[in-house]
Amino acid sequence: MFKIVLPELLFMKSTDNLLESLDPRAKIVSYFAIVLCVVLTPITHLRDFALYFLLALAISFLSRITPKQILKKVCILIPFVLFVAMFVPFVKEGHICCSLEIGIFRLNVTYEGIWTFLNIMVKSSLSILLLVIASSTTTFPDFLKGMDLLHIPRLIIMLMSFMYRYIFVILDEARRLIRARSLRYFGSRYREQFRVLGYMIGVLFIRTFERAERIYHAMILRGFGGEIRSLKRFKLSYKDILFIIGTIVYLACIVSGLVHKIEHMKVNNTHLWQGL
Amino acid sequence: MAGIIKISNLSYRYPDGTLGLNNVSFDVEEGETLVIIGANGTGKSTLFMNLMGILDGIGNIEIIGLPLNKINLKEIRQKMGMVFQNPDDQLFCPTVLDDVSFGPLNLGWDSSQAITASQKALALVDMEGYELRTSHHLSFGEKKRAAIATVLSMNPRILLLDEPTSGLDPRSVSKFINILYTLKFQRQTLLIVTHDIFLTQEIADRVLVFSEEKSPVAIGSYKEILNNYDLLLKNNLVHQHRHRHEEVVHEHEHRHGYMHEH
Repeated sequence: MFKIVLPELLFMKSTDNLLESLDPRAKIVSYFAIVLCVVLTPITHLRDFALYFLLALAISFLSRITPKQILKKVCILIPFVLFVAMFVPFVKEGHICCSLEIGIFRLNVTYEGIWTFLNIMVKSSLSILLLVIASSTTTFPDFLKGMDLLHIPRLIIMLMSFMYRYIFVILDEARRLIRARSLRYFGSRYREQFRVLGYMIGVLFIRTFERAERIYHAMILRGFGGEIRSLKRFKLSYKDILFIIGTIVYLACIVSGLVHKIEHMKVNNTHLWQGL
Repeated sequence: MAGIIKISNLSYRYPDGTLGLNNVSFDVEEGETLVIIGANGTGKSTLFMNLMGILDGIGNIEIIGLPLNKINLKEIRQKMGMVFQNPDDQLFCPTVLDDVSFGPLNLGWDSSQAITASQKALALVDMEGYELRTSHHLSFGEKKRAAIATVLSMNPRILLLDEPTSGLDPRSVSKFINILYTLKFQRQTLLIVTHDIFLTQEIADRVLVFSEEKSPVAIGSYKEILNNYDLLLKNNLVHQHRHRHEEVVHEHEHRHGYMHEH
């Protein structure tokens, strides 16, 4: 599953489009601002979430990625969130909304639990949607270079880079270990199985550590001195500035409640107009 | 001909006390292909690690007229590249082009120079059109060739190859030998560590034999060394086990990858 899913999810290139031509810094700053606003907005402000969703749709329109492509990727990630959040309505204490009886068990669903569930699902879905758009319009090296230019600590960037590159190699190694174990496994006690699992994790750790050393050697032999270099040269253009300003102004309008005020004014105006 | 690599009295001991190299001395001429053969654990790869300054042995190493020390290390690594045995250790970037241009960019070349050098290196290893391919999706043979390109793009004068043909299928081996011939004809100095007698016979100008005492026991032309049956037998490069000649299965000492008659 990982072999097929992970490369698809992480940073693939799409066709040429406006969003892809933007400087990665502009995209990182804008997406981070959107996700931050989404996370900090109380779930009761459902109208705000609709506006965030509209913004995400507008960005996806700029990216010219087909809705099918976006949905395909979103649908792969949403179940993970759903799996985590699905128990919340039953676990969270509060006012009971309804009860489910399964055999001798009685599960109470609370209003607070439902709101928390909604909170997790809505915010995660929006963040995932943005992640999918971001990853489909930015190559991974560009994304890392953008982070470097934004002065994110190099250690974090290097860790991300190696995680992306070597997760497949480590998964393959883990798979080989599991296969080797299962070929010589003829049933044993759980305790014994856990002991073997412990050995396998240890071996995987040692192999990973040794590999890390060899990779580091390969890097320093090719002149690596800690700086991430890329073939592309990035320069913020007016398009990038416009994208950042546009996003931030839109977010500011939502967060400051200006949208509500405008709406309210319209109502008043209507009243005034009707009064006249 | 000038000695491009001069090693004298080099010894190395691992932190756990295991002897890695024992009083190694030899020279390599510019433009020659020296193949270092020896059984497993005889210190061949340790020698490469010492030559590249990853391990710090006792003794003298001089590369292109520069003594190997911390001051000259950067310059030496610009002029001498090493290809690791496992290409997954060498290819750590998302795409082939990123990997191949990693060295040139770190040498301070600008993007256009790095791209030109990378494309030239990829062409040399017959991998044109692979630039945007994901490194970890390549076949093992392709990874091996890409790993060579990552070093060739830095335009080194000396190339060290650690077990270049291990794990390759016959077609990939022949492709690899073609690449090595191209480099050889370009007067590239090549140092190759292998147990592949067939590769040695194909490509070597001179052969250095490492013994289990972690030191060289013989150096000479490939004909001299490969025809010295006793030397190969003593150093575990000739084996005795059952093998087949047409329909007859029998047992005697023989060299792997070396055709022989009965």
